[in-house]
Formats: sequence, C-alpha cells, structure tokens
Amino acid sequence: MSSSGILKTSTGETMGSTKPDDRELLTRVACGNLEAFERLYRLYQLRLTRFLATLLKRPELIEEVLDDTMMVVWQSAGCFRGSSKASTWIFAIAYRKALKARARWPDPVEEPAVDNRVSEEPGPDDGVHQRHLHDALVVAMSRLSADHRAVVDLTYFHGLGYREIAEIMGCPVDTVKTRMFHARRRLKDALAGSLGDWL
Amino acid sequence: MADRATNAHEQAEALLPWYAAGRLEGKERALVEKHLGSCVACQRQLRFDHRMIQEFPALDPRFDSSWARLRGRIQRETRPPRRIVPWTGAWDLLKRPAVATLAAAQLAFVVVAGAVLLSLSRPQYQALGSAGPPASANLVVMFRSSATHAQVLETLRASSASIVDGPTSAGAFLVHVPRERRPAVVAMLQADPQIQLAQPVDVAAQ
Repeated sequence: MSSSGILKTSTGETMGSTKPDDRELLTRVACGNLEAFERLYRLYQLRLTRFLATLLKRPELIEEVLDDTMMVVWQSAGCFRGSSKASTWIFAIAYRKALKARARWPDPVEEPAVDNRVSEEPGPDDGVHQRHLHDALVVAMSRLSADHRAVVDLTYFHGLGYREIAEIMGCPVDTVKTRMFHARRRLKDALAGSLGDWL
Repeated sequence: MADRATNAHEQAEALLPWYAAGRLEGKERALVEKHLGSCVACQRQLRFDHRMIQEFPALDPRFDSSWARLRGRIQRETRPPRRIVPWTGAWDLLKRPAVATLAAAQLAFVVVAGAVLLSLSRPQYQALGSAGPPASANLVVMFRSSATHAQVLETLRASSASIVDGPTSAGAFLVHVPRERRPAVVAMLQADPQIQLAQPVDVAAQ
C-alpha cells in the first residue's frame, strides 16, 4: 500500500506544506513591506477563497471575509511567532473570520429543491458517469455541516494533516478525527449509488 | 485480544484519510500499513479516500453552489411542486408566467378533446360500395402551425396512421393506428418537434 503523496495547487505549489519563504514573507510584511504582502496574497488568494467558499453559503461574503482575513495578516504579521506553519496561522484567521461572518449573516434558508437527487443508474459512458459522480458529490457536500465540509476539504483538497486542521479550527485533534469519520460516512452513503461496484 | 484488534481497527480507520493524503509519518503510518494488510474494510475505505482526493480538485464550491442555486430555480419554475392552493391564492398563482402557460396548454387540450368527441358523435356516412365499416379513431394528432403539408403526410405515413377524420376546426386529425403499435406511435409522435399534441383516445364504436 502506498499513500497518494502530496497534492498540488492549481498554481503548482505544494499543498499541506508551507514553503520556507512564507515565513520570510510574513517577516517582511510585519515590517510594512507591501510588495511582500502582495506576493503573500497571490500565494493564498485562491486557496483561501476555496476554503471560505466551503464554509460560507453566501457568495457575497466570500470576498469580504477574504479581505478581512488578509487585513488581519497585514496588521498582525508581527504577532506570528512561528510556533505553527504560516499557512496554518493564516487559515486559522480565515476560519475565525468566517465563523464571525456566519454568526452575523447565517446561511440562507435554502428553498426546497425540486430534484436534488441524482439518479443512481450509472451513465452509458465514463464521461457521463464522471459528471454524475461530480454532481452527486456536490449535493452530498452541500448537505454536510460547515465544520464537516471544512475538515473534509482541508484533508482531501488542501492535503493538511489532522493536527494542522485542529489548530486552524481551534479544536482537539480527536474532534477533527470524529468530524472526518462522520463526514466520510455521510459522503459514502450519499455516493453509494454513484460509485457502484467501485467501492 | 479482540478488544485490541477492534482498537487497532478504529485507530487505523480514523487515520486513513490522512494516510491517503500522504500526511502520516512514523508510528501512525506503520500502524495503518500493518492494519491494512489484514483488514478488507479498511482497504475499501482507503480506496474511497483515494477516490475523494482524486475528485476534490474538480469541485469548485463557489461555482457549484451558484450553479446548484440556479439549477434549482430552473427546476422549480419548469416543474412546480404539487401543492394545494387555497382559492384566495389561486389567482396570484395563475398570474405567474409558467403557471399561466401550463393553464393555457391544458385549456387548449380540453378544447381539442371536446372537438374530437363532438366530431366522433356525428353520424358516419359511407358510400354504398364501401368494403366495410371504417376503422374507429384511436389517436388524436395535432401538428404545429410550422409543419408543412409534406411533413404532415410523411409523419402520418411513417407512423402507419390512417386519417379517420379531420382536420377539425382546431386543426387536429383523428387517426387510426394498429392497436398493438399505438404506444410506440404515440411515443414517436410526441418526440417529433413538429407535433404539438399526440394523445390516445378510446371511443366506443358508433
């Protein structure tokens, strides 16, 4: 058995590991270096946007919370002591900002969907089947709680370890494992028909 | 002994997502690998985790939630859920474009069906030399106004339909098709873009 290895971002950066220059960038940001901050923003903008979109169901909040997060990074870079990875510190700020935003503007009450179910019959070819699985996964994710979605996405997409996720979410590692356990079971149940014999 | 095995299974199962993501090291990694060698359930779970890691880059929460919202709206507007509408709200409901369109279509169907039944109730006249009584109509077909004469003939010929009556004042034809072929013909006609209405009718012989 072999593990899948480290994931890459769309920009080719290694996920789940902080590049050494992240800390250097934060040090320069702490000195008010706007150029370093722009570089940091470029490195994190896409990852944070996705993370916030996983947590927030109001699209109009995402950019606002992203801006708020990066403003805190700009203003508080000097507080970063290096006890965790720079990425963990930044994601934790984003998580707290997202929680505050959700407290102020709770998730909208979704209108009952006419047909949110995805047919369990496999498609006639791989392309259709892949589309079918994708749609089923989108629906299944939308039915998880925000915390469950965050743990799942930070693991499967961002490739973070459970200790980093616990730091970001400010909870014990066992809570992360329990959330992942339940979220995974719900995803499996929801995707059983789509994955078919594959499981 | 069994407790120890259960404990090892629970520990390994909880760590599998991070093993799949390549985020385990040392003792935890060794624990999972040792357990995977003998646990079919965890091997299956690991396949699931790998598949999710493979699928997640294709997810785009921002796009997916927007699209799901729009798709839900389209579904709601084209297929309104059945519900009992109090009379006080019925007029408001009827004023909605989608509902008004549906109501107009239903009204048109009632008019056509009425015309069909009226024409079937007329006395049947036959020439003295007729070989036998005409086949009774068992299908009503209405073409769109854009259908050409040639298309009408070709469609009726292709469906083995013989005209019994029509066109009625509403533009409908009463046709007869062999009983055993009727479901297939109805399906074929309903799929034809030039057909506005294809509906079986069962009328007792006059």
